[in-house]
Amino acid sequence: MAGYVAKRVAQSLLALLGVSVVVFALIHLVPGDPVRTALGTRFDQELYEVLRARAGLDQPLVVQYFDWLFRALQGDLGVSFRTGQPVTEALMQRLPATALLAVSAVLVGLVIALPAGIISAVRQGKVSDYVANAFSQIGVSIPDFWYGILLILLFAQTLRWLPPFGYTSLLEDPVDGLQRLIMPALTTGVVTGAILTRFVRSSVLEAMNSEHVRFARAKGLPQRHVFRHHVLRNAWNPIVTITGLQLGTLLGGIVVVEVVFAWPGIGRLALTAVERRDYPVLQGAVLLIAAAFLIINLVVDLLYAKLDPRIRSS
Amino acid sequence: MRLRLLALLSLTALIAVACDPGDPIDPEDPTAEVEETPPVDEEPDDPAEPTAGGTLVAAIGGDPDQLDPHTTTSSFAFTVLENIYDTLVQPASDLTMEPALAESWEVSDDLLTWTFNLRQDVSFHDGTEFTAEDVVASFERIAEEGENAFRLDAIEEYVIVDDHTVQFELNRVAPNLLEQIGPFAGLAIAPAAAIEAGTLADEPVGTGAFQFVSFTPGDSVEIERNPDYWGGEVPLDGIRFQVIPDEGVKLTSLETGEVDWIDSVPPEQVDGLAGRDDVVLGQVAGNDYWYMALNNDREPFDDERVRRAIAFALDIDVITEAAKFDAATPNETAIPETSFWYHDYAPFGHDPAQAETLLEEAGVSDLTIDLMVSGEFPETVTAAQIIESQLGAVGITVEIRDEDFSTWLADQGEGEFDAFALGWLGNIDPDDFYYAQHHSEGAFNFHGFSDAELDTLLDDARVETDEDTRKELYDAAAERIVDQASYIYFYNPDIVTAWAPDVQGYEVAPHGQRRFNNVSLDR
Repeated sequence: MAGYVAKRVAQSLLALLGVSVVVFALIHLVPGDPVRTALGTRFDQELYEVLRARAGLDQPLVVQYFDWLFRALQGDLGVSFRTGQPVTEALMQRLPATALLAVSAVLVGLVIALPAGIISAVRQGKVSDYVANAFSQIGVSIPDFWYGILLILLFAQTLRWLPPFGYTSLLEDPVDGLQRLIMPALTTGVVTGAILTRFVRSSVLEAMNSEHVRFARAKGLPQRHVFRHHVLRNAWNPIVTITGLQLGTLLGGIVVVEVVFAWPGIGRLALTAVERRDYPVLQGAVLLIAAAFLIINLVVDLLYAKLDPRIRSS
Repeated sequence: MRLRLLALLSLTALIAVACDPGDPIDPEDPTAEVEETPPVDEEPDDPAEPTAGGTLVAAIGGDPDQLDPHTTTSSFAFTVLENIYDTLVQPASDLTMEPALAESWEVSDDLLTWTFNLRQDVSFHDGTEFTAEDVVASFERIAEEGENAFRLDAIEEYVIVDDHTVQFELNRVAPNLLEQIGPFAGLAIAPAAAIEAGTLADEPVGTGAFQFVSFTPGDSVEIERNPDYWGGEVPLDGIRFQVIPDEGVKLTSLETGEVDWIDSVPPEQVDGLAGRDDVVLGQVAGNDYWYMALNNDREPFDDERVRRAIAFALDIDVITEAAKFDAATPNETAIPETSFWYHDYAPFGHDPAQAETLLEEAGVSDLTIDLMVSGEFPETVTAAQIIESQLGAVGITVEIRDEDFSTWLADQGEGEFDAFALGWLGNIDPDDFYYAQHHSEGAFNFHGFSDAELDTLLDDARVETDEDTRKELYDAAAERIVDQASYIYFYNPDIVTAWAPDVQGYEVAPHGQRRFNNVSLDR
């Protein structure tokens, strides 16, 4: 097992390095540069050169990359071109809000998807199956900000039960924090739930149709027992995988929902960084997202190995 | 495993898409970059004003990128900074310049030496006394940091006469010096010690009605009353500037009482809000203008007849209505009717027949225009759609290129466009409206316009001290600009903000500055 873990960690680090190269190249390929953007319409060539040199942008790209990598390995991701704030600090400021929203959304998603997916698989072709399918179809087709706006209209404007925007740390003020979390978490969670429902349904169905389940049934084992020990046990793996992926995606920031609810997360930070060509922030944000992805993947893999001994040996 | 690989790939693809130059722009920060919202009129000294107290929650549409007045270009930052900092002089509500940190000034006979007498009763928020040294340190830093350096290019040297007197030695006569040194907080006076220490970006220290408390990026900025404000008692205890990027949510938050004031109202909502008793609408004619420019370095736009044909073919009333509903005034020149410098001149109207004649004279047919706009300024996209249909009516094809603003700026700098549409914000003096944009040597003449006679007019007007003569020169300049369609002007937008009924004493300034030193909460 230890060897397996070491191998997976090494793979993850390698992937991270790859991501950093690709991202670095990509963001420098895009037209427009941070200095010109900062100067706006009041452009002046001389000043432009001075500011570019000050930001180190006059160096060859390869030099810039290794310079960045060298400092990144020491935990220094540079400072924002726009705000002068250290990138690690900016990311850490935004991470709690993003993590809270991502985890809450996945929880909401699971609460919806597990019962909906299982019921619809077990009652394939019945009314409840169609209802669950319709929910999941609608859920993935309609953009999340639209739910968000509907929720705001209902709970903030009409009923006046919840504040329409903002984030408060749960540690600082749990009541206010929860109130502000409900709508963004529901908005994101409904979409996540819709996606997960389809996977839960198909994994359960697949497991139900497998040979050993049919064999167990043929043996005359009670339905309940078969479902719990033979169907669910096998359906778990794909569900864990896809849930992990969803969490990873959400940790990357939920840009639109963050904008609608004025949620101070990573997504908005990255979006602004793209617009302003704020290379250090963008690079840092993407690296963080990639790292989160890889860590979740790693955890999922290890869970996998725990859930399914066949994986360890292969 | 395949799934996860796919996810990593799609993550990379997502970044690629996010960086794609053709990508539609984000809803945050719609005015950052072009802003330069100048300062407000504000006559704070009313000792009879009751101290009602309370904290006002003000919603702003985007994140201030930083809080250093000399380096930021974000309008959201300036909404905050106008309340922390002061300038030497400041615009009054009629757009004349009035005393602020300088209580009076004299100009020498040769018009090249300006002497400013500074207020003696002013201290910075950190307790240090405000002196001439701070003025010089601030202006030297502004010139060095660049964002507003161009405003100071007439100033050769600063001379400290004594602690409260400073002289500006000019390299040319500059009748509009006051408009250049005090239009908004970009020209803020900061303490010399903080400039020296390089701490301004983290810890704003000004002389204004409010002092800095905290900044949580992506969320809010908090400021509190300056008990020693030189301009008199400040009623509010403090202000919390809350970032709310979505226009609809911002308005809802005002309606539900979560916030007390919002920095803008979507134009399509203005009508619906008028006359409501739970929301107060503040709307004044603004000094900004929006326009289209054609690339004079490219054929056939180097031909005046083609540019004029396009001006004739456009119906700016329709463009204005589409882009701003009732919240703007169509104008064939740049300067709005409310200004002393307004010149009533509208030679084009809407005349497609004339447009076709001119195109024929110029021998131009099958013309296709590459029109560059940015979704970061949605009104340019709306205008472009109307332009497309109106020019289509005279046989001109318009290809709209919607770019994110960073790419837009790069292309503008490279001259990669047939035409672009944008606005200029926060101008006060006519020199701001015309010189850099239309003088053949102008720093922002990106469209390559050149007219020797106009150059002479602009050069003369720049140093003319007699106000009436100066206005005549600018009227003549405006006519040449309009006649040759250097810019094709569209409209002057209104400045629209809204607040809760219990917010008292807020005045909407025509130059877009937001100040709260006279505001109180009646609750």
